[in-house]
Amino acid sequence: MAKFEPSRPEQQPRPTAPPQQPVKKPAPPRPAGEIGWHPVWRWFVSLLIVLHLLAVFCAPWDLSTQAALPPGFIPPTDNLGRQLPPPVGVLQEPIVTRGLRTWFFRHYLNLLYLNHGYEFFAPDPNGSHVIRYQIRDSGGREVAGGQFPDLKAQWPRLLYHRHMMLAAQTGDMGEESGRHYAQHLLAVNGGQSVRMEWIIHKLLPPQDVKNGKKLDAPETYQVLANIQEVAKPKPVPEQPVALPPTEGGR
Amino acid sequence: MGIFADTRGYFAEMWQAWNKFWFQSVDPATLCLIRLLAGTLLFYTHLVWSLDLQAFLGQEGWLPVEYIRRVQGEQWSVWSVFFWIKPGWLLWCVHIIALLVFFCLMIGLFSRTMAVLAFLFAVSYAHRVSPGAFFGLDKTNCMLALYLMLGPCGARYSLDSVRRVRKGITTPVAPSTAANLAIRLLQVHLCIIYFFSGLAKYTGENWHAGTAVWWALANQEYQSIDMTWLANWPLLVALATHATVFWELSYWALVWNRFTRPLVLWMAIFVHAGIALFMGMITFGVAMIIANLAFLTPQTVRRWFDPLAGRVARLLGAGK
Repeated sequence: MAKFEPSRPEQQPRPTAPPQQPVKKPAPPRPAGEIGWHPVWRWFVSLLIVLHLLAVFCAPWDLSTQAALPPGFIPPTDNLGRQLPPPVGVLQEPIVTRGLRTWFFRHYLNLLYLNHGYEFFAPDPNGSHVIRYQIRDSGGREVAGGQFPDLKAQWPRLLYHRHMMLAAQTGDMGEESGRHYAQHLLAVNGGQSVRMEWIIHKLLPPQDVKNGKKLDAPETYQVLANIQEVAKPKPVPEQPVALPPTEGGR
Repeated sequence: MGIFADTRGYFAEMWQAWNKFWFQSVDPATLCLIRLLAGTLLFYTHLVWSLDLQAFLGQEGWLPVEYIRRVQGEQWSVWSVFFWIKPGWLLWCVHIIALLVFFCLMIGLFSRTMAVLAFLFAVSYAHRVSPGAFFGLDKTNCMLALYLMLGPCGARYSLDSVRRVRKGITTPVAPSTAANLAIRLLQVHLCIIYFFSGLAKYTGENWHAGTAVWWALANQEYQSIDMTWLANWPLLVALATHATVFWELSYWALVWNRFTRPLVLWMAIFVHAGIALFMGMITFGVAMIIANLAFLTPQTVRRWFDPLAGRVARLLGAGK
């Protein structure tokens, strides 16, 4: 006999509250000291760290190395005994450091402004450079004059230091930079010509200072170069073409 | 068999140590303190350009852009927004935006974004004046900005953290692997700087002879306080010179040891404060001292600065 299961009344779905979603709690912060990140990510970042630090290292490394002459090489001299540059191919270039800085990491170092030697006051502290100038008008009268750096004219100290760098770094850049300084001075002060003196302010040994000599004694200033420059002609704005007068409209 | 097991063990241990050094999560307090101080320095040092903006950063000025690009070798990777800006009004607009970015970095508003923008601006200014008017300050500024953008530099001591509290978010600041990475990179970078600075000095006769400090202090253009009385104290000059060279050469080794670290850092403060006070390079001296703070532990930073930061936060309406 078949057993019949008593029929169950069809269960109506009870109106119930929507099932509660489990509340996602924010993951508790990782305690300090735990190693973070997925191992694959760590391997990748490790590679970047090594490359970055190698780049940071090789910039001052290369800038502190120089091409070397072979041991025992006697440099050639001219008839007056003055030393001449060695023949081509004699100088031994430091190929690893040069290759890393000027080829492999060149653009990376440039992009991040890392291409530096960090030679603060090295190899030896030296005297400072000063540029003195006189600006004259077309009649020869002095219209302006001064020097940079100048503690009285440039304030705060950082602005003074920027001007000190201008005077110092023109030595590395060459004569053209001096001509640009001259044109800038003419543009700012007006005038027809400018005469500039690039001066080194030599340092005094302790004995001289003990003997009462002043750090700014006139003989401590030595002119290294003079630059004479005249104002560039100002570009003349193009005149609009004058049209012939028309005799009325139609 | 033993040799392979030992070799494998050696590399496994080294990988563990490497991970611990670079990827351990730390409280970002040290990075945040550096953000606050470096942001202030970046703001001030770039604000000073405003006094002669057109002359240093304009298309013409002391050194025209066309000339600077030629001296730099016309390389695409030597870049600056100032190479392309021509009208004076646009130059001023960009300069004011840059100052706002540095200011936001200083106060810690949208810190991470501002750190990225601050780095881009700092490099832009530096490339425009290199060569010409750059010096060690620009290198340090860019280095600090570079590493600040790698980690959560606004997690503490910032308006960002005050805003979080005012929104009712009270979860404690999470330790961060990125903060550790940023600080570690800054630490190693500093070691490289001092090592090569020491090596370069070691090639100079006067650093060898122990007289270099005299020549540095007797330079009237640098001098901000007259130190020529040192002419009567040659022994002091010699000791200071030798100590500087040995400190720079050994910094990379001694700064990692917990017993020698305080000595090395105090020496850093002494040397850079000396440069700031006696040689007129206040901003550069301060920048290097800020960089050296990377060696302070987050616990030390919090012990020293949290009480003050808490007071400031309360003034701004966050916290009890």
